[in-house]
Amino acid sequence: MTMTSTVKFAQSRPRGRKIARLTTDLWLVVAVIVVTLGIASQRPQLLDAVNIATVLKSFSIMVVMVLGLTWVIASGKIDVSFMQVAALSNMICAYALAQGWSWGGAIVVALLAGALVGLINGWLVASMRLPALIVTISTAGICASIAAALGKGTVIRIADPGPLEPLLQPALGGAVPMIVVPVLLIAAVAWFVQERLSFGRYIYALGQNEAAVRAVGVPVVKLTVVLFVLSGVSSALAGILLASSLSSGQPMIGGPFLINGLTVVLLGGMMVRVGKPNILGTLTATLFIGVLFSGATLLGLPDFQRQIIQGGLLLTGLIVATIAASHHGARTAGQ
Amino acid sequence: MRTWKDRMRHSTRGLGFVALVLIVAAIFGALEPRFLSYVSLNGIARHMAANGLAALGLTFVVIVRKFDLSIAGVAAFCAMSMGALIAAGWPLWSVILAGLALGAVIGGISGIAISRFGLPDIVTTIAVGSIGTGLAFIYTGGRSIFQNFFTSGITDLNDAKLMGLGVSMWLLVAIYALAWFVLSRTRTGLAFYATGENPMAAHFSGIATRRFVALAYVLCAMCTVLAVLLILAESGTAETNKGANLMMPAYAGVFLGAAIMGGTSVIASFGGILLITMLLDGFALMGLPYYYSDGVVSLILLIGVLAFSDGARGTLEALRFLFWPQKPTKPTAKGSDA
Repeated sequence: MTMTSTVKFAQSRPRGRKIARLTTDLWLVVAVIVVTLGIASQRPQLLDAVNIATVLKSFSIMVVMVLGLTWVIASGKIDVSFMQVAALSNMICAYALAQGWSWGGAIVVALLAGALVGLINGWLVASMRLPALIVTISTAGICASIAAALGKGTVIRIADPGPLEPLLQPALGGAVPMIVVPVLLIAAVAWFVQERLSFGRYIYALGQNEAAVRAVGVPVVKLTVVLFVLSGVSSALAGILLASSLSSGQPMIGGPFLINGLTVVLLGGMMVRVGKPNILGTLTATLFIGVLFSGATLLGLPDFQRQIIQGGLLLTGLIVATIAASHHGARTAGQ
Repeated sequence: MRTWKDRMRHSTRGLGFVALVLIVAAIFGALEPRFLSYVSLNGIARHMAANGLAALGLTFVVIVRKFDLSIAGVAAFCAMSMGALIAAGWPLWSVILAGLALGAVIGGISGIAISRFGLPDIVTTIAVGSIGTGLAFIYTGGRSIFQNFFTSGITDLNDAKLMGLGVSMWLLVAIYALAWFVLSRTRTGLAFYATGENPMAAHFSGIATRRFVALAYVLCAMCTVLAVLLILAESGTAETNKGANLMMPAYAGVFLGAAIMGGTSVIASFGGILLITMLLDGFALMGLPYYYSDGVVSLILLIGVLAFSDGARGTLEALRFLFWPQKPTKPTAKGSDA
């Protein structure tokens, strides 16, 4: 109901539209601030330098993991293999180091593995026209099995912390790990690509009407393959960061990230470009979830309650995005 | 109605399927003689009963061209709920009814959200599944429930035999027969298929497509409850991770069966899940570590779907043209039903 009236209001008066626009653009930022202040009033430890550093570290890793996924979902496809790609690259990294490789070699191999999985996903989805869910659910299972097999079902410890370790340590006043800087730079480049280059336009066009995009001569197959490869590489990078952060390869690490990743991408899709996943939204939503979970831990909520809250958030995000999209559709159809 | 040619082609595919099952059985039997023993075959039948029920539920959802990723979550929550009721001393039949009702409610929530409110199926069911996985912990905080299990009679579902076959297998056959009759021989079944093939056309033919999509999710959740009930009966305890291993075999069974039989159907799912369960049990018997099982199932699913896809057929045609350019290729009608 409120949604309807906002839209009508926005149509009737230009200034109202501007305000409505700003609200839809920035409400998640407001939510982040409100949640932060709300939790901090109950548990001041939330704003301790150490805690902020922890939140920002997991924020950085999460953002890297879902950057590619954001575009895959924006283009109307789905990739549910990203978390297992991260687990695989995490284990490859640890395994290679245990075999006496250098960190450089381990990182390259792990990234290549991510790119390969992305390439297979993209080829099967785009060229062979198989359903994206079935393809990625299968590659996820295969990656998880290989990851577990590399460590024979258990964890591989990493002795040498490696070159990424200093990036993950708190710096800049003890509250901000350096990793945030390159991650934000990558996100900025991605934002530029998404908003200013035709590549970005194609992604959203693909999500709207694949046949039309194909008809105007965009190489849809290549584009889809590139999107899946980007998703594979970015998840693999997150897996490498996890290896450095945890000083170990954890074969079972992927599971919980599925729901986390989808939640941030779809929740993020509710701001800036309403109804469509986008980079800025993903960043904000990741911060939101990070603060919320840190707060939940400080408030002493058990793990399973977090899972229920997250499922609820994801559903809420879906409902709002669907309503927004249908209103958007009705508006453009009416004009 | 089906023509004689259709029937022929269908039975050829069916015969091929039977041959494939026999070949797999022969290979495993040769590699590991215990595979064909009575105990092992009985184990396969029991595992197939649980996997098969989950696959049957998924079949309905796949027929209306949707996906359900909440199977593991629904299974976990309903397993713990049924376990809690058994521990509270409820009689078994009321526990099963309560479990089915709970499953129907959860499936109804997903189904209505997707059909009536147009939420995207994949992510919605992931969210519902996540909530279910979380809710599974509310009874005991994650500890397993085993009180009253051996006096409640639930273990009979696993142990009791009727004419040499386990009760669970009879249950599977009965429910599959019912589902086959409804889907292949009634207007209701036709409505399910029509909803999946072309919702718009189905709608204008007077089919309440939204109701059938929602119904598919309700049936899927209820079948999942029955599947996890059999798992509870086998293990004698309710744990929060029960049912985590139901989803991949279900997907593999439904899509492998559909790929080989040339379309999603009850019979295709039955064949698919038989093949998948044989492979899983065979590999387990040969001592393959547990962490390979998901990978093996995934790989089989991927190869199966790929091998029978239109894309692969196009590649084969192209190759044939490359090697025998003179040979006139007959237009095949196979593409239409695959």
